[in-house]
Amino acid sequence: MEPTLRAGDWIVVSQLPRGPKVGEIVLVRDPRDPNRLMLKRVAAVADGSCTVLGDRPEESTDSRTFGPVPLPNVLGRAVFRYGPIGRIGWLWRAPFVT
Amino acid sequence: MFLTRLLKPTVTASAHCDLPCGVYDPEQARIEAESCYKIIEKYNASNDEQFKTRAIVIKEKQAELAKHHIDVLWSDYFKPEHVQKYPEITELCWKAAKQCSKVKGSLDLGEARTLLDMIDKIADVWTKAGGPQATRVQKAVAARA
Repeated sequence: MEPTLRAGDWIVVSQLPRGPKVGEIVLVRDPRDPNRLMLKRVAAVADGSCTVLGDRPEESTDSRTFGPVPLPNVLGRAVFRYGPIGRIGWLWRAPFVT
Repeated sequence: MFLTRLLKPTVTASAHCDLPCGVYDPEQARIEAESCYKIIEKYNASNDEQFKTRAIVIKEKQAELAKHHIDVLWSDYFKPEHVQKYPEITELCWKAAKQCSKVKGSLDLGEARTLLDMIDKIADVWTKAGGPQATRVQKAVAARA
């Protein structure tokens, strides 16, 4: 998810009262290992599942590898980075470029 | 200090982006799995309790490393086009990673043998998918002689 997110970032994730929207960064369970949580950007939502991609497609492991993520495994939306101090800020939905 | 500890997140999520060096070889996993196999052999042949305890600790570490290397191959090397061409690779990697966990918690030589065979099957796909040419730095002719 670089350059948006970097290793060691402290992120606030809020629960989603509604379905995820394209462009949002969401916290999902890895379909291959439900114990592993991942932050990815929503590329599409259809038929009860969500296609997620990394911001650097050439180096990301995402729905192209593990397929769409069922909506119950989308746990929340990344809204705010509160650390490190120099990178504090909102994680607003970015226009998704395909 | 206290505040930092208080605010530090308790849950870790992977964004799974890396800057891969591009070198992937199932041999890395195999060497760790071979370590597990040999350690189990040595464990069974030993009567030294201290040695046996150390053997268990080291085997668990090597099994975890084997799992890591399989995971890296699966998530970073094998791409959708590989999966399309060799659909068995997903299950091979998944089962091999699970087998690593079995070997981690077991002193059964058969489980370690099974893991080696699984890694060899992954290596077959890796070779068919052009892994040796695509990912390894070839040795200089002089170094091979």
